Amino acid sequence: MLNCLLKRTLLILLLIVISGCATFQLNDLFQGYNSQMKPVKAAMLQGDFVKAKSQLNERDQSNNTYILSLLERGRLEFLAHNWSASQQTFAQAYTEIEAQRNKAKIQVSKGIEKLGAVVSNDNATSYEVPYYEQGMLHSYQALNYLFQHDLSGALVEIRRANLVQETALNVYKEEIYKAQNELNNSGMSTDSLQGGYPNMDRAIGKVKNGFQNAFTFYLSGILYEASGELNDAYIDFKRAIEIYPDNPYLQQDVLRLASKLGMQDDLIAFQQRFGKYQEKTLSGQGSVVVLVERDIVNSKQDVGLNLPVGRSNNGLKFFSFSLPVYEGALIQHNKLTLQNAGQTFQSNEIVRIQSLAAKDLKDHLPSLLTRQVVRVVAKEQVRQKLSREAGDVGNILASIYNIASEKADTRSWSTLPDQVDIIRFNTASGKQVLQIQLDGQQKSIEIDVQPNRISLISLSAIGRHIDYQSVNL
Amino acid sequence: MNKLALVTTLGLTLVFAAGCANKSVVRYGDATAVETTDINFGSTDLQKVAAQMTDSLFLSPVVGTLTQNTRPVMFVERLKNKTSEHIDTESITDSISTKLLRSGKFRFVDMGRVEAAREQLKFQHDGGMVDPSKATQFGRQIGAQYMLYGNLSSIVKSNQDKTDVYYKFTLRLMDLESGLVEWADETEIRKTKAKESVGW
Repeated sequence: MLNCLLKRTLLILLLIVISGCATFQLNDLFQGYNSQMKPVKAAMLQGDFVKAKSQLNERDQSNNTYILSLLERGRLEFLAHNWSASQQTFAQAYTEIEAQRNKAKIQVSKGIEKLGAVVSNDNATSYEVPYYEQGMLHSYQALNYLFQHDLSGALVEIRRANLVQETALNVYKEEIYKAQNELNNSGMSTDSLQGGYPNMDRAIGKVKNGFQNAFTFYLSGILYEASGELNDAYIDFKRAIEIYPDNPYLQQDVLRLASKLGMQDDLIAFQQRFGKYQEKTLSGQGSVVVLVERDIVNSKQDVGLNLPVGRSNNGLKFFSFSLPVYEGALIQHNKLTLQNAGQTFQSNEIVRIQSLAAKDLKDHLPSLLTRQVVRVVAKEQVRQKLSREAGDVGNILASIYNIASEKADTRSWSTLPDQVDIIRFNTASGKQVLQIQLDGQQKSIEIDVQPNRISLISLSAIGRHIDYQSVNL
Repeated sequence: MNKLALVTTLGLTLVFAAGCANKSVVRYGDATAVETTDINFGSTDLQKVAAQMTDSLFLSPVVGTLTQNTRPVMFVERLKNKTSEHIDTESITDSISTKLLRSGKFRFVDMGRVEAAREQLKFQHDGGMVDPSKATQFGRQIGAQYMLYGNLSSIVKSNQDKTDVYYKFTLRLMDLESGLVEWADETEIRKTKAKESVGW
């Protein structure tokens, strides 16, 4: 008996040491990521980004949520206008993502992690950064470079963002298909979720996939335009308008570049869709682009369900599951109004990050569910074994552990904005004052517009807090 | 039997525990050795690009006639980085201009140090510390006749099994007076990285 106990202790020790190379914090298992992020979000809503950063859970490099903590920190540094700190943090996150991508096809450590996740929950696995988050990382990194007056560095990040979207386009469908197959092999389907699992369609809205981000395309177009590569800019604007065909600023950009580059066929087609194009730029005018970030994206919520799982030896049995979900519908944000030199402009949506996040989660449900089935079955077997060997005490302990450890993986980049809008217009060069109005709040922005150049303003409106940074490209 | 299992587990634990904490070692290496730490633009690529470009420039018959009786004055504009990596392109142009200078066939003006030179001349004339008759005169510098400029672009493709990177480096020499491109060449580099199938 003693010998057996010793053996088990040693085995557990071995497991701990093995997993020691990629650890997870114990409270990650029992306290969801969404509740860990609550104080951070509260501080963000007050506009106190330094406090928000101090509320972040410190994680070291071996932690399985390290990359995510870097993303959160980089974003908060960005909001606090610490461009170089933000740039370094994001660069580190990129290195980590690259390392993850370049790892062997079959990873021993991953297998062990999954083993750990089987007896606890998905929070024990390393965080894999979804494509839309990778795209946002490079977009912010590009802005970081811009605000440090390095256009060529910003363009490098833009190319990386495009690479991410290209990879996603190639790989995504295959991944989803494979996960769906695996789930079907385990005798379940996502249909069995219906009823208990909230329908996320209202949180998804109209997006077609969870990775194509018109904001990244638009930023890319603007930067290419600023560096004189109009053809590249045109391609990115065209990609953006496929996602947001109703955005009037995008329509003007596409028409303007089509006419400038002499794309006659395109110009005719676009004019049929968006109306006749009239050259509006007067000589000596400059262009102003405003990127408006609205609020904070929602965190994933934990939803508990009872689902039947078929097992070979004793038929169907109901198990309690925990799955992450984005609850509620999309919030309709008021448009930002901007006045300059007698003209009034209203902001228009260029990306809904909440939709991308929800769509990404929905697409990944099959693989989540497959892991969940394996997990509940394994946990049930542990409980049965313990109740046989250690009687009621073992049974109760195992049941308590099973309930307490049944936590959904609610990890996601939670400091991203909910939505990004754009405004673009031409105005006379020289000192210009822009009057902005949002939810009853007013603010005036002073910029120095240069002839034939683009002035970029990145504005973030979180809660009652409005902040901006401008740069001449 | 039980004891054996015990010992094996203990041994394995020790091995794994040791595996997590390796000692680091510092060594000197050959600066021109082939470096393949990862697939990104590295020192070997830089050296290869700079060497091939300068060799091509020296061997070109046009440049041969240009440098027959005079040492033309050049300036390096910049290398446009069109890749998806943050590459210090100044380091590439530095290598190329150093090699050209070393050959003794060309002379260079450095646009990156114009401000520093102006400050020094200002100090000599207005600082009150330098003998005015011995101060270096303003307006005596020699203007560049040729401009060296180029592009570095890349195509990156990857799938589950491998990553492929292709770099193309183009360099051109322009006669500033006539606007003619007197010489141009390009080098290509292709690197592939296959993923290992099993690893930690």
